[in-house]
Amino acid sequence: MSESGIRPRHTAVTGIGVVAPNGQHTETYWKSVKEGASVLDRITREGCEHLPLRVAGEVRGFDPSALIEETFLVQTDRFTHYALAAADAALQDAGLSSSAADSPYSVGVVTAAGSGGGEFGQRELQKLWGQGSRFVGPYQSIAWFYAASTGQISIRKGFKGPCGVVASDEAGGLDAVALAAQAVRRGTDVIVVGAAEAPLAPYSAVCQLGYRELSTVEDPARAYRPFTSAACGFVPAEGGAVLIVEDLGRAQRRGAAVRATVAGHAATFTGASRWDRSREGLAQAIKGALDEAGCAPEEVDVVFADAMGVPEADRAEALALADALGPHGTRVPVTAPKAGIGRSYCGAPLLDIAAAVLAMEHGQIPPTPGVFDVCHDIDLVTSTARPAELRTALILSRGLMGSNSALVLRRGPGSAA
Amino acid sequence: MTTEITQLTVEELASLMKKAAGVTVDPHDLASRADAPFADFGLDSLGLLGIVGELENRYGRPLPTDAERCKSPRAFLDLVNGALTTGA
Repeated sequence: MSESGIRPRHTAVTGIGVVAPNGQHTETYWKSVKEGASVLDRITREGCEHLPLRVAGEVRGFDPSALIEETFLVQTDRFTHYALAAADAALQDAGLSSSAADSPYSVGVVTAAGSGGGEFGQRELQKLWGQGSRFVGPYQSIAWFYAASTGQISIRKGFKGPCGVVASDEAGGLDAVALAAQAVRRGTDVIVVGAAEAPLAPYSAVCQLGYRELSTVEDPARAYRPFTSAACGFVPAEGGAVLIVEDLGRAQRRGAAVRATVAGHAATFTGASRWDRSREGLAQAIKGALDEAGCAPEEVDVVFADAMGVPEADRAEALALADALGPHGTRVPVTAPKAGIGRSYCGAPLLDIAAAVLAMEHGQIPPTPGVFDVCHDIDLVTSTARPAELRTALILSRGLMGSNSALVLRRGPGSAA
Repeated sequence: MTTEITQLTVEELASLMKKAAGVTVDPHDLASRADAPFADFGLDSLGLLGIVGELENRYGRPLPTDAERCKSPRAFLDLVNGALTTGA
């Protein structure tokens, strides 16, 4: 916190932008999350109707042409459209939409991606095999790529500071925020950080069919029920969120509202679909994040769970909480808003961060939609939001390929107390 | 023998810039500033590459390799139309 001597330990979150199945503005997103509404529904995307993946969280009614210039639209996939729109909203929220910084070199961009631009890529590959290589457009070289959103955000806004792309599985969404905080600690003023995904095009959907964790249940009300005895896998989703993180001292000097601080993070790897092993991996990540944050287990006021929705994975997560937090692990309120939204891969932990910041600001723990019969020894918040004084939030994320991450957020000094 | 060759016009180039790169440009503006860099109109190198590919498919034959390196509308039109004429 000190202005002199060592750099501030904490990085401020000063802006949030959300493009989610349950809201394309931060306020509408929070309203839906707080109410515990589920927007999971049958997939309606062209070419997906016949696939065994039946239920997803679609971002509907999103009109990219109203938000993004055509020169950017022609060379980008839907996942980048979401990221560009969320970045705009986050910059505006942070009061940085017109002039983000004194120098373009003081603003960087970090995104995480796990799905890439499948829809764009499929279209061009269909031209390749349908018409020939001469009919593949040159933007195929960049649009599908995991790095596309970082590149396009930085080009569109003229940001020339440190840029990065994290491709470390779904939990990479949390790792990206940690990377951004690290860049700020090393002296960059502002990092635009986030993740948004668009895995609901035919090619992308088919790629997911091999995941044994994928829910193929047809009933949207029963397709994704983490922490219950009826858990039958997860439901994929689109969208994500972008944050503005900056040096705490800088944020306070310019009078920005500090919505939260990034206090600690750690990540581990325990192997693809080895959910039994993820217990230890997740517990180590939690301990590491708490250690970096200088946070005792009892200080954690709420946990945003990974909530894979696979029985052995849910069990491992509940046990990891007990392993890492001790007796507090069975007492701390746990929630999983994504049960009503779906998992937008790397975008999912970003949406959880947004929900955690909003929960701390509003003093409300949102419920886990559609879950009533919890079969693990955790205090899962269900049915309705629970009022609580929230100073510290722990966000957890795991990926299908074996990554485990934990992030500790503290309520911002500028937030309503 | 050149009578059957369709020359690439400024209007067609403007519509190709829109189709391939999403760049909206008035053909009159393009003609009056034909020596300005493509970048001034918002067209990047991949966008020009897309236009070259579109034309090659339309004409059914390759354009000179320098086509995608042209810096301005005039240089591009001259090179493409020269190639169409001589290559007929």
